[in-house]
Amino acid sequence: MIIKILIGLLSGFVSGLFAAGGGMIVVPALIHLLKIEDAKARATSVFVILPMVVASGIFYYNSNYIDWGIAIKCAIGGIFGGYLGSKLLKKLPTKVLQIAFTCFLIYVSTKMIFNC
Amino acid sequence: MVEILTGFISGIVSGTGMGGGTILILILSLFMGVDQHIAQATNLVFFVPTAITAVIVSIKSKQIEWKVGVPIAILGIVGAIIGAKISINMDVAALKKYFGIFLGLIALYEIYSIVKSCIDFRRKRNNNNK
Repeated sequence: MIIKILIGLLSGFVSGLFAAGGGMIVVPALIHLLKIEDAKARATSVFVILPMVVASGIFYYNSNYIDWGIAIKCAIGGIFGGYLGSKLLKKLPTKVLQIAFTCFLIYVSTKMIFNC
Repeated sequence: MVEILTGFISGIVSGTGMGGGTILILILSLFMGVDQHIAQATNLVFFVPTAITAVIVSIKSKQIEWKVGVPIAILGIVGAIIGAKISINMDVAALKKYFGIFLGLIALYEIYSIVKSCIDFRRKRNNNNK
């Protein structure tokens, strides 16, 4: 039970602070710490993160940080992209995607930390 | 138009199940110069409709582990309220820096899991050759 409490608090805190990345904590935690199989861990993580996103969304909304013009345009693109991505998932090698994503993360994190 | 393209790219990444939200925030804040808080709020709006659809599909296919999910979700709301309160009062430069550190940690974890799966793969292959 203590593990579940910690996973919840930590992923919620990250979700609220950065409005992203909760899933990157919940999915590995469910798989490695609670021994849940991959597909169920991903499905459960979306269910878990949804209320966290709604809760933090209320605070961002109250502080006038939501720009509906940008959000709606991004969402329109996202619908088509999401559909294409889930189709591609079956065809692309996940290892290549994972390595590309990691390289991108290293690049942007150094850029953000050292402000260059 | 650039916003639609940004959403499209993030959507592809989300669809493949790898941190589409971080990509969306990064494109908006680093490459388009949108304020970090607004970029983050955009991701929240972006996430909700796709997540609702995904949850409905998962409920129907019985893929959600309720016994694990419900307690984590409840504590997650508490964590999210604390995180959001800190975030909205935080200076943009500091928030960006912490986000960078968080992404660096995720990158380290990804490197660890890539290396680990390579080692597991080799071990399996060696066992098969014996």
